[in-house]
Amino acid sequence: MKTVFARLQSWEGFLLCALILIILVNSSLSPQFMTVSNQVNLFQLSIEKIIVALAMTFIIINAEIDLSVGSMMGLSACAFGWMFQQGMPSGAAILICLIIGAMGGALNGWFIAKVGLPSLVVTLATLIGYRGLARVLVEDRGINDFPEWFDALGQKGLLGPIPFANIAFVVLFIILYIVLQRTGFGRKTYVIGTNREMADFAGIDTARHKLILFTGAGLIAAFAGLLYAARVGAVRGDVALGFELDIITIVLLGGVSIFGGTGSLVGTLLAVMIVLNLRNGMALLNITGHIQTGVIGLLLIGSVVAPRLNLGKLLRRQTGPNMTKGKT
Amino acid sequence: MKHFTKLTMAATLLLGTAGFATAEGHSVTLETGQEVNMVLLPKFLGILVFDQANEGAQEAHAELENPGELLFIGPTPENSTAGQIEIMTTAATQGQGAVMISNNAGDQIVPSALAAQEAGTRVVTWDSPIPSGEGEDVFIAQVDFGSIGVIMADMAFSILGGEGQMAVLSATPDASNQNAWIAAMQVALEDEKYANIELVDVVYGDDQAEVSYNRALALVDQYPDLGVIMSPTTVGIQAAAKAMQDEGLCEQVKVSGLGLPSEMLSYTLNGCAPEFALWDFRDLGYLTYFTAYGLASGQLTGDIGETFSAGRMGDYTIEEDPGRPGTKRILMGPFTVYTAENVEAAAN
Repeated sequence: MKTVFARLQSWEGFLLCALILIILVNSSLSPQFMTVSNQVNLFQLSIEKIIVALAMTFIIINAEIDLSVGSMMGLSACAFGWMFQQGMPSGAAILICLIIGAMGGALNGWFIAKVGLPSLVVTLATLIGYRGLARVLVEDRGINDFPEWFDALGQKGLLGPIPFANIAFVVLFIILYIVLQRTGFGRKTYVIGTNREMADFAGIDTARHKLILFTGAGLIAAFAGLLYAARVGAVRGDVALGFELDIITIVLLGGVSIFGGTGSLVGTLLAVMIVLNLRNGMALLNITGHIQTGVIGLLLIGSVVAPRLNLGKLLRRQTGPNMTKGKT
Repeated sequence: MKHFTKLTMAATLLLGTAGFATAEGHSVTLETGQEVNMVLLPKFLGILVFDQANEGAQEAHAELENPGELLFIGPTPENSTAGQIEIMTTAATQGQGAVMISNNAGDQIVPSALAAQEAGTRVVTWDSPIPSGEGEDVFIAQVDFGSIGVIMADMAFSILGGEGQMAVLSATPDASNQNAWIAAMQVALEDEKYANIELVDVVYGDDQAEVSYNRALALVDQYPDLGVIMSPTTVGIQAAAKAMQDEGLCEQVKVSGLGLPSEMLSYTLNGCAPEFALWDFRDLGYLTYFTAYGLASGQLTGDIGETFSAGRMGDYTIEEDPGRPGTKRILMGPFTVYTAENVEAAAN
């Protein structure tokens, strides 16, 4: 049984302390910070990104990267808009978008797992390709006037003031947490990320595993794209442009090593909370634009550098449940 | 919740008093010294024309002696849409009196703008409206975009002396503003007055200085009789003028279009770009501030037909926006055509 102090000495413990500090500062500087509507908005404004960050956590622990998620979100949102405009029932359009997401993700996975190309290259190509498709479908004109229930789902509270997307995030987090920390699939994700060759020798079908991960990431990105369309009630070719960088930032800040094998969803969740609270706090103090970006950037530099300094000896990053040590 | 009730009460009260202030056919003079906090939200930061709009708004802020705060905040270019939505949402949370936005988010801004209005924040758009008009109190239109075609045709006419070849150097092929303006110019050119002006080509410089520079030179090579390059973008016109100047072609080919006085000053004085047009962004910021102040302080209702006095700029009336039926606009005024006569004064 670990003591409280030992627990706080982990990277997650460090993030938790940082989060508490940020929340304290925010609530003392802004009277609106702790209101229910602001807390809901805080999540709502970035809800699609943080949902995809959950999938990205799996991908990066697996020692891969998926740069195409932002474009896939855009493609899904635009495909929905286009099909809706062509007169297709929205239920069917949603289903097709999710299928597009899974197929797009599977295409990434196929090139990476079966053909053996680096994920950086493959998903950079599909980042451009999926965005291109989105722009071809919708061009520069916006599409809006979606069905009322669709807009309401994205904009109104479902459970009291809490909108559907926030509930989806919580549910998805719980499911994925169980998968990553409590199942064989989760353990394999860590093992392959630590050393793929070793995993191959151990008889793990690593290609199949990666195919599943990328398919899942595509599916979740498409789902998040639909949530975005519902939240803003309109789509355009540039929907979710550049979101992949924010998503990867959050995951890395959460202590997931870019080299794979290390990290946890709890870390990602804490990083999500830190980034969102920091952004919101700055926005309430009217700090926007370049300064806001700069502060978040500094935070990332710190999170990448800190484990390499002496601090790294103090703050252990979590590895897979059945593993002794990460490779760092 | 308590806060919200207060706001609603305040809004009701304000609406009540405003009813008296707006007598039919009568110009409202805004009372100074009302305290309203407002946000001026550009598409993104770091663009000269938005800074100029801010100068105009600050001028009006001082003139109206508003003890409240005027904030000039905006997103970074790569985060424009999400950033604008975030600032709009935060403004509602903060209980700002008004948000003045040059909208870059299309209709994606609508839910947050509606939420802001619900929270009692007035939403005034300028430079670029909300396409559907939802969530928008009124749009301050810098110029009547329908007139832009005639303005460009007239400048070509005057530069060419009524006869010659013209080519267009635009932004990107899918820039909706520029495409609409070029189409408007083509319609204008059908008039008999311009019968001897030939539009030989439309090329695209992607709103990048270097690409535009090279496209302009390519046009001169391709059309030896070319008399004027018309560029309806501030990037294109400056790059084309520089290209003509660098290659010593200014005697042969003139440059015109939409440009910023501060950027075009030297080219206008040395004759490379003798005439160009634009609206004044300081005036746009000034008029936008007056409108938003009037609405947020409850002195204006924002109904069609309402007339008010906007300080040094005179009287303006809220009307239906012909480009977006069912929405409201205030038309700032005609284009300003800049020549060697007036460019220096505007450039400072």
